[in-house]
Amino acid sequence: MNDITRRDAGLPESAESNQRGDSLLPPVDIFEEGNALHILADMPGVTRESLHIEVDSNVLSLEGDVALEMPETLTAIYAEVRAQRYARRFTLSHEIDSDAIEARIDNGVVHVTLPKKATHRRRRIEIQAA
Amino acid sequence: MFGDLRGLEPARVQGMDWFRQWMDEVFPDSGAADIRSVPRGSFPMINVGRTDDTVRVYVFAPGITASELAIDIQDNVLTVSGKRDAEAGNGEQQPPRSDFRRERFRGEFSRSLALPDGLDVERAEARFRDGVCEVLLPKREELKPRRINVQVA
Repeated sequence: MNDITRRDAGLPESAESNQRGDSLLPPVDIFEEGNALHILADMPGVTRESLHIEVDSNVLSLEGDVALEMPETLTAIYAEVRAQRYARRFTLSHEIDSDAIEARIDNGVVHVTLPKKATHRRRRIEIQAA
Repeated sequence: MFGDLRGLEPARVQGMDWFRQWMDEVFPDSGAADIRSVPRGSFPMINVGRTDDTVRVYVFAPGITASELAIDIQDNVLTVSGKRDAEAGNGEQQPPRSDFRRERFRGEFSRSLALPDGLDVERAEARFRDGVCEVLLPKREELKPRRINVQVA
């Protein structure tokens, strides 16, 4: 389970960051609740259409483009958000059922639910009276 | 969108200043050296842009509803304040969860920003969509750019 936090592929490796261009690393919360792992990511300005979530050989990638309607003539005076897209990748551990991953986006917060495979769920063992 | 911001940054000299380029790569830019600049991770992030007749402030405040965000303007200082609970949405009691990462901002926030002069604050509007609040501040009539007709003498 800790694989997901330790082997977070988010930090830019030089080759990869060149290839991906300038993208922002969204802050995330990762927690375990019920029989699933949850990822919450702040991606303001991303819509349902501009968000792309993919799982490829145990790597989960979250990518989203900032889709803001702005007038053509807008010139920037001051900016803290200096890229148009967010991207972050996570390595999943084998206990995640990648076919059952669900995601939704609400007010710029992405919520990804990663259910565990049935064989890896927590089970309580009945204790028989002797 | 804000891709054109790159034009505001000092141009990188190709080939000449290899040492600075290398240093920039090893120690990435920590952000603009603006008097109002904030450390990375400040919440919410703010962008300000300008058109001919308005100044637009974009507040990147994900996970907040329009009613939870307060925007006040006083003496040409815009203050954005509110509170965010970073919980997963459903407020019902749940068994203690184990956290692996907590990077997202939670709690109360308040940020202030000095606005350019000459805005008509009375006609300001704000829209909230996809976690971004856009504040439109129209310029006062007398400050809009205008063309002066040249009379033939």
